[in-house]
Amino acid sequence: MAWLLVRLKLRLLRNALRGSRQARGAFIFSCIAAAVVAVLMFLGLAAQRGQSEGVAVAATTFTSLAFGWLILPLLVFGLDSTLDPATLALYPLRTRPLAFGLLAASAAGAWPAANLIGLLGVTVGVARGALGVLFALVAVVLQLLFCIVLARAVTTSLAGLLRSRRGKDFAALLIIPIFALYETFVQLVPRLTAEGKINEHTFDGIDKVLRWTPPGLAAHAIQDASTGHALTGLARLLLLAAIVFLLGLAWIRSLDRALVTVDTSTQAVAVRASALPFAARGLRGTIAARALIYQRREPGAKIFWGIVLVIMAASAVGTVRTPSYLGGLIGSAVIGAAFVGIFNADAIGMTGPAFGFDAMALHSRASWRDYFAGLDLVLLAFAVPLTGLLSFILAFAAGHPLSGFIALAVDLAGVGIGTGLGNMMSVLLPYPVERRVGSPSPRAIDGYRGQVLAATFLILILTGVLLAPVIVAGLLTQHDPAALRLPPLLAASAVYGLGLCTVFRRTAARLAENRLPELCEIAFRSKL
Amino acid sequence: MSATAIAVQGLHKHFGEKEAVAGIELSIAAGSFAGLVGPNGAGKTTSLSMMTGLLRPDLGRILINGVDVWADPPAAKAVIGVVPAEARLFERLTGRELLEYAGRLRGIDVAACRSRAEELLGVLDLVGDANRLVADYSTGMRKKIALGSALIHNPSVLFLDEPLEGVDPVSADSIRRLLTRFVASGSTVLFSSHVMELVEQVCDHVSIIDKGRIVASGTTDEVRGGKTLHQAFIDLVGTRLDGGEGLSWLGSSSA
Repeated sequence: MAWLLVRLKLRLLRNALRGSRQARGAFIFSCIAAAVVAVLMFLGLAAQRGQSEGVAVAATTFTSLAFGWLILPLLVFGLDSTLDPATLALYPLRTRPLAFGLLAASAAGAWPAANLIGLLGVTVGVARGALGVLFALVAVVLQLLFCIVLARAVTTSLAGLLRSRRGKDFAALLIIPIFALYETFVQLVPRLTAEGKINEHTFDGIDKVLRWTPPGLAAHAIQDASTGHALTGLARLLLLAAIVFLLGLAWIRSLDRALVTVDTSTQAVAVRASALPFAARGLRGTIAARALIYQRREPGAKIFWGIVLVIMAASAVGTVRTPSYLGGLIGSAVIGAAFVGIFNADAIGMTGPAFGFDAMALHSRASWRDYFAGLDLVLLAFAVPLTGLLSFILAFAAGHPLSGFIALAVDLAGVGIGTGLGNMMSVLLPYPVERRVGSPSPRAIDGYRGQVLAATFLILILTGVLLAPVIVAGLLTQHDPAALRLPPLLAASAVYGLGLCTVFRRTAARLAENRLPELCEIAFRSKL
Repeated sequence: MSATAIAVQGLHKHFGEKEAVAGIELSIAAGSFAGLVGPNGAGKTTSLSMMTGLLRPDLGRILINGVDVWADPPAAKAVIGVVPAEARLFERLTGRELLEYAGRLRGIDVAACRSRAEELLGVLDLVGDANRLVADYSTGMRKKIALGSALIHNPSVLFLDEPLEGVDPVSADSIRRLLTRFVASGSTVLFSSHVMELVEQVCDHVSIIDKGRIVASGTTDEVRGGKTLHQAFIDLVGTRLDGGEGLSWLGSSSA
């Protein structure tokens, strides 16, 4: 059974090479990334040789990997067919051999191998002497087993939920903290390391907590065996083995249950719903009502706003405590506005086949104007307060709260420009999208990458260019009394943004008027 | 003689090299319950999409109650209702919200929308699920709410693509009765289906489509020609699979 499932996993991985060019590219990239991570992790851990904090670095690395194993399967549930017990429920398999098979299948592949190779860096960096190396080898195997069993136990116990609509919604939202963590890592860690604020002593406090976690036990067992405390090290390894064993038992029990039960949480749920709002506002109000409900109920909308805010914060964080803070604040507002447009540059493709509903009402230029106006009103109602609030938070962090008003002026004009450009691109460069397993938001289907890139660059460039007058006005008047300069600056920026939004919306409506069948075709090809 | 509700003349559609619809001619009288049957890939869905103004034909003309669909789309769309094969619905609205949304898109007064929505929910047996998201509906419930959305503006011509596929017998019966009542009031239904028995039971007019062409059209009795509709269909379209010769192991109790 174990060998059969390992071969299944390897076959699934090999079949990735037979998919579309994009899937093949992603698979090759993933393998290369795994190799790079393996080498870097090995070298990073090996470099701890002779360092007093080597064990703390190892414990942190071990724990980070366990965290990755815990989170990633939740995001890519369904990507690996062997993850979901339901796919194997039809076959006459006994739980115990099935569990060993699934365990073996999890250990197969480029990333588990990369983990193993990378972790073996402790045999050089932390272990001393033959006994230390022996303990290191056992500790690495136990650590990997712990990661796999932990991931399996969590995904199996949540399998029913993760197959449900609510579970998928929840898993999709995990992308926001992960993206925020990634941005923090990329933007902050190199800077703080360069400034000396992250050094070997940073891990002191972390290790005091981590040493008692299962990954910490593995790292410290190597240290103990290498410093003459083999019995303590052995006790740690035995404790870790017992944890893996108990976790394995819990997993097998949940596997037993998961094979014969389904999640019914979604079926039982009725949402809090009332009549659609904006009843007196005609087609515009009807579209706005639906868009407003989607902002509340569609996880993609929350992901979009989360990512826009993280991008804005990340683009300013490098300069916010420096004399160039104003440039950072303005740049952050420009980027935020552009991304509001970019994420809404395919309104019809993103609506998907349900656009057929709306299409029945779209038969004139005026109806298209109302359609885009309904979408834009809701978008602006969220974009203005969210981007404005973040601009002020960043201005406060910079110690120059009044500068937040200049950024707010850019926000006011920018979200209008971005939203209007989004309308234009939705008609000029529409593309069908599909929801891919492992990706929390829909992506363009193969063959439409050009449209995505063109829309992205056009919106980025045009937003920057069209915001230039607002930025220049803000900078030229920054030394004038605030009471005199800010009210007209803010009012003019809002009018400028709304004006351009209206111009772009009307142009989009004119272009869309005779393109309904083509736009329907794009929408119907989307798979959501 | 009753007026023509749906008239299709010389309809063509190509997708690249493939000719999906190759010159369809069709005439359905007002008050008919008409069926469009054909094998997979015959051009049923493509034809219905063109008749409902959602897919531009390469060539041909479609008249709904005398209005040219592609010359005056608003007038044509005002009198038709559509239930596509894969119910294209807003998944994050509740059933009740979806009906109100469909009505408001059609410009119906809000109060009328809400009262019609309640009545449709009752007739379609969806009152208990009215506040659940469409995303959580079963296949049959999705078909029913899609039908409700297509009926809320009281169209005179209703197009349905595989309306009963995946629907349980009880729901199918309630949908069938609703459609029969709709036709009895003088409205017209054109629906595509694979289920010959169903078409035979409910339709007074049948058209058989194959390889993008109408190969038979007329009253159900005319098309059957004394046989079952199933047999008439097989005779016209032909069988395309062998009977499974070669599967000598199939049916034995040993593995």
